[in-house]
Amino acid sequence: MSSAVASHEIDNTRDDPTRRAQLILGGQDFHTVTEMVAGIPEQERINRNWWFAFTLAVSLAGMFGLNIAYLFWEGTGIWGNNNPVGWGWPIVNFVFWVGIGHAGTLISAILFLLRQQWRTSINRFAEAMTIFAVVCALVFPGIHIGRPWLPYWMFPLPNQMSMWPNFRSPLLWDVFAVGTYGTVSALFWYYGLIPDLATIRDRAKTKIRKFAYGVFSLGWTGSARHWHRYERTYLILAALCTPLVLSVHSVVSFDFATAQLPGWHTTIFPPYFVAGAIFSGFAMVVTLAVPARAFFGLQNLITLRHLENMNKIILATGMMVGYAYSMEFFIAWYGANEYEGFTFFNRAFGPYAWAYWIMVSCNVISPQLFWFKKIRTTPWMMVIVCIFVNIGMWFERFVITVTSLHRDFLPSSWGYFSPTIFDIMLFVGSFGLFFTLFLLFLRWLPVVAIAEVKAGMPAAHGHHEEHGHEAEGAATHG
Amino acid sequence: MSTASKTLDANDARLSPFEGGGKMIAVGFGLGAVGLGGAAALGAGAGDHFEGFLHSYLVAFAYFLAIALGGLFFVTLQHLTRAGWSVAVRRLAEVVAGTLPVLALLSLPIVIPTFLGNHALYHWADPAARQEDHLLHHKEAYLNNTFFLIRMVVFFGFWSLLARYFLKNSTKQDETGDPEITTKQQKLSAPAMILFALTLTYGAVDLLMSLVPHWFSTIIGVYYFAGAMMSAMATLIVLAKYLQGKGKLGDIVTVDHYHDLGKLMFAFTFFWAYIAFSQFMLIWYGNIPEDTIWYAPRQVGQWIPFSIALILVHFAIPFVGVMSRHAKRKTGILLFWAIWLLFAHWMDMFYVVKPTMIIEHGGEAGMLHLSLMDPLCWVGVLGFFIAAIGMGLKKHRLVPVKDPRLTESLAFENY
Repeated sequence: MSSAVASHEIDNTRDDPTRRAQLILGGQDFHTVTEMVAGIPEQERINRNWWFAFTLAVSLAGMFGLNIAYLFWEGTGIWGNNNPVGWGWPIVNFVFWVGIGHAGTLISAILFLLRQQWRTSINRFAEAMTIFAVVCALVFPGIHIGRPWLPYWMFPLPNQMSMWPNFRSPLLWDVFAVGTYGTVSALFWYYGLIPDLATIRDRAKTKIRKFAYGVFSLGWTGSARHWHRYERTYLILAALCTPLVLSVHSVVSFDFATAQLPGWHTTIFPPYFVAGAIFSGFAMVVTLAVPARAFFGLQNLITLRHLENMNKIILATGMMVGYAYSMEFFIAWYGANEYEGFTFFNRAFGPYAWAYWIMVSCNVISPQLFWFKKIRTTPWMMVIVCIFVNIGMWFERFVITVTSLHRDFLPSSWGYFSPTIFDIMLFVGSFGLFFTLFLLFLRWLPVVAIAEVKAGMPAAHGHHEEHGHEAEGAATHG
Repeated sequence: MSTASKTLDANDARLSPFEGGGKMIAVGFGLGAVGLGGAAALGAGAGDHFEGFLHSYLVAFAYFLAIALGGLFFVTLQHLTRAGWSVAVRRLAEVVAGTLPVLALLSLPIVIPTFLGNHALYHWADPAARQEDHLLHHKEAYLNNTFFLIRMVVFFGFWSLLARYFLKNSTKQDETGDPEITTKQQKLSAPAMILFALTLTYGAVDLLMSLVPHWFSTIIGVYYFAGAMMSAMATLIVLAKYLQGKGKLGDIVTVDHYHDLGKLMFAFTFFWAYIAFSQFMLIWYGNIPEDTIWYAPRQVGQWIPFSIALILVHFAIPFVGVMSRHAKRKTGILLFWAIWLLFAHWMDMFYVVKPTMIIEHGGEAGMLHLSLMDPLCWVGVLGFFIAAIGMGLKKHRLVPVKDPRLTESLAFENY
């Protein structure tokens, strides 16, 4: 896929302390940026490759739906979950997808507060991914509640029996944490879309299009007053989103860490899970951004520097994950609790050693390749590393969940977990759901935040002394 | 960036080395001698093999070590992220980190006795205890006198060298203006960050966690780091305000720099609370005796109001206080909160260290064991810390005047 990397790729990754690198390349002005991004949903004929990908994704999503239907018919017995491993792939998939959803808010909220202008080229994309990932994540606990026709019992709704959920259960905290996260992320994403939707509305050539984009742009006119309120609200939303980046995966980690089980009960879990989530989220953004930018010809907006910056974040968060692994191991020894010690020994050398070492090689070793600038800045190479990271992060959740459960305190309750075909089809199917939503997004909405990118271009600041060179035509701040 | 509205004269008197540095050194040594001398005298008179003194001393020492390490982290992070905004205040952070060699010397009252087998502070330092106690016996490969000494030499050696290296190159750039120096610092910052994370973590394990050698918590390094960054940001705010009050720095350090430092201080106040909550909540929820031994004595007697006060002073009150833009841009208000949080940091270190006297050394349960040695030790270490900062300020320009990103730092605005 990334063999399609355009030959006109401009290298803006050189670090020169005396000047900031250009972030928008190819001598773009406001008009060409609009054309490039708004042109995608305005294509009259839908590209055949898109149809191909979409058909595949919808088919997988259909398989997902059929599996869920069968699950509801037959019950959770179709899964590999059984004593002693009562938590199998569904929770692994849940945590995996929630983790993927973390890059979006980090990019839109935290990088915004840190004035990282480069985030504007990728934030729309990553935020959309966040929402779709959260949707996929929510399916798994939703179908795992045993009586799927009673999901509203998870919420503290007043009822005639005065029955309440257990507020001391971290699983209930999850309902709130992930629910809040999904809501605020969607709000933030949609809010950022409004000016760009209005742009597409204003360019619309058909009535239906004008109406559809018009409804969703909420009467945006681009007046100074609109912009003023928009920017104030954006800042406040960013500030509100920032604690959410930490809270969601912290609460997910509580599902495990509040237990007394060796391998789960450890105090570093909250920040460790957050670092891992950002790690996997960025890996997914890079995995998807590289083919998407090549496919839609966005190399001048999502430049090598953007990709390199993301790869550096992947390297940094990968080191944090490695730090957490090593701390866990050190304390498992230092704590001198034989059960804790056994659990960690068992992880690395027991029957699931293969999963453990996949996890370590993918999460700790493979990102080390990003120390090499060549790998950090070559699209096809970074995609390979990022796919490894995503594999590794799935296995991390598998290792945590299964290895701590499969050998209970009594050897008579030892077992070996194997997934069934339904476990596998549900997991693969969830990718179908994700890609269906994602491809629809690529096709119908502006994939880059047009207005935000423009705000970072020098033309927006009223000084043009930098134009002239082909590679130095536009925005700064690297 | 090309919108530099101000240009800098490298010989600007406001940026030249601080003339008052000599006075800082003199006053600092005076305070240091009086504080530590007084505390040591009281400690000797107490007849407890310096147990009380060493605990008070460790509170003060861990307090200032955190600030210096926070400064070092800040400098490393600015290079790692190629930051522009912070250049105008980076020299101050370099000077704060430059106190690490002095802190290495100040670690000797802890390191030497422990190495020699004095177990007034660390129970595991007693070879006999390591034989009798099964858990300590298990941990002996790590918690023993020689390896402790080796680790301390490595940690303080690394921190001191790294801080000196950053400061030396940065001041060299003041003369040459060579942008290559910036590139060199940036290259070093990535591996330095890894070693920093490991040394800070195991430093916290050794100095703080091993006080209760049966207890363990994987988050302890992050906990110490969170307090370190918060107090380092507070220190930078206090230092910049002090120097401006003395007619230095002028308008080079702008309200926008204070605003950003304030944001980071606020962020790490919050981060500390997040980490402290994570540790506490998970241990409370699990309720396993091997974990709760650390918190149990902190929830008895005088420690109850102290623990609640810690939550309020270190988190709840400043969280509301520093949140608004107004509080961060009115530098007088920001200074108030910086001093407030520096006090909160002291409460935190006191909370981490002092109950050891109850858990490990038979002190009376429920008592704070607050003594005159606590303020004296704090003033004493503060004195030497001020003297070390004075040495840095007296010798070096107060701003990296020829840093290639200085213009960016002077021009940026929070909007």
